[in-house]
Amino acid sequence: MSVLDKLRLDGKTALVTGAGRGLGRAMALDLAEAGAAVVVASRTQSQIDETVDLIRAQGRRSLAVSVDITDSHSVNAMVEAGRAAFGQIDILVNNAGGATKGMFRPLDTIPDTHWQVGVDTNLSGAVYCCRALLPSMVEQGGGKIINITSGFGVRAAKNNYMYTAAKAGLINFTRALAMNYAEHNIQANLILPGIFPHDDPELIEFWRGGKFIPVGRVGQDAELGPACVFLASDMSNYMNGQMLALEGGGLAGGQAPCGFAPVVPLEEDSV
Amino acid sequence: MSLAAFSLADKNALVLGASSAIGRAAACALAETGADVAVGSTLATLRERAAVLSCRDAIQSQGRKSLAQTIDAANEADVQALVEQTISELGTLDILVNAHDLPFAKPLRDISSKEWRRVLEVNLTGVYFACRAAAEPMSAQHSGRIINIVSLLGERGMINGSAYCAAQGGVLNLTRALALEWARSGITVNAVGAGWTEGMGLLKDTAVQEQLRRYLPQKRLAQPSEVGEAAVYLASDMAGFITGQTVWIEGGALSHL
Repeated sequence: MSVLDKLRLDGKTALVTGAGRGLGRAMALDLAEAGAAVVVASRTQSQIDETVDLIRAQGRRSLAVSVDITDSHSVNAMVEAGRAAFGQIDILVNNAGGATKGMFRPLDTIPDTHWQVGVDTNLSGAVYCCRALLPSMVEQGGGKIINITSGFGVRAAKNNYMYTAAKAGLINFTRALAMNYAEHNIQANLILPGIFPHDDPELIEFWRGGKFIPVGRVGQDAELGPACVFLASDMSNYMNGQMLALEGGGLAGGQAPCGFAPVVPLEEDSV
Repeated sequence: MSLAAFSLADKNALVLGASSAIGRAAACALAETGADVAVGSTLATLRERAAVLSCRDAIQSQGRKSLAQTIDAANEADVQALVEQTISELGTLDILVNAHDLPFAKPLRDISSKEWRRVLEVNLTGVYFACRAAAEPMSAQHSGRIINIVSLLGERGMINGSAYCAAQGGVLNLTRALALEWARSGITVNAVGAGWTEGMGLLKDTAVQEQLRRYLPQKRLAQPSEVGEAAVYLASDMAGFITGQTVWIEGGALSHL
């Protein structure tokens, strides 16, 4: 098998949550491009219908399933619907998540409901999906879990509590999956996307075009799918519990502002 | 437990790189907690000679024994001789603090191989010489504390920081390797991770300091004493179950996305 053939996902089925738009859609489209049938899940029916149409236009099979990721019964039903349509699911991409603007607020003003909804959306939802799918992956003799975390899962920011805690939880949950399911030929890994404004001019403006990112730009949606295909494919079969960060270099620094570059010569008498 | 448990009375320490702000602060803090402290410079220069002599005087003015040597910390014989002198004059060597600091920052393509080697020799290889020399008497007495001072650049990158970052990262992982290697010899090996600190060689430029103050979560640099004092805890009998760890004194810098 040639190297690039290892990236092929022909005959596989992927389930992508939060696939109605943005990064989820980008990953779903690239998984399909690599040959997979894709179960496209999210809350909003019109958006997943659109993603499914795009995938079918590529000549791949696809199914839209509306799901409330915070409700485990709904998650179980989604997994059943996917299995009923495609026989088995080989690849799970836990991408659903996010936070509304109102969730970023001082700690002493966070209502219980914000915290719980946020953690349910960003952490529990992925746990429910894994719980629903892993037994059948074990039975099938293998599978791939790809969890989408965030820079906020490893570092912090002002008034960001719920999201940063939930995404950090997802990281170590992934390591726990890797530990427990390694012997079943199931690999669980993470993608850490940096800033991806999805060509939205307002968001690009908000993130100042990525001026504060070492490479000097924000991420393009099209850059994310290939990482997902890699982690879904046989090319990454010995990669487990790891994180692939697509973020333009911010995590290599962070202890000083972007562009921090002092020049300090050796003292002449010290050489 | 009483606070007396942290006392370093009857312990003897050697601080290398005591010519730097953090090394001096560590040496003084150890002395203040009761240790006798020998000090050595990082470089054998007149400026550093004045710095270690002043550090020695500060230790002695606290009523502790001290001695100072102006050594090149990258010179194996210098380091070995200072370890031997410390034991012969103070009696034992219980605590070694490696605060070696040869600051250097330049774009990689402008770094000569001579500069690269020098930065690695002083900041990394010098620490290896000191650890090796100290391990001999420490394992013989089945007790010892080695504390390596590293900076944020041991953990993160910086533009122009290549050589310095490589050396510091080396010290950080040397700490973990030796912690395991000597875990059953009674020697603990830990690091104190210094955040951006007043008086740091890399931060001579005041505009650079200002830029960092604005950026850091605590909106200020560390005082050398805050970094040096962490060495007291790691050196104390209270820290016997801690090895291979880094205690970061960084004002939140590593949490910053």
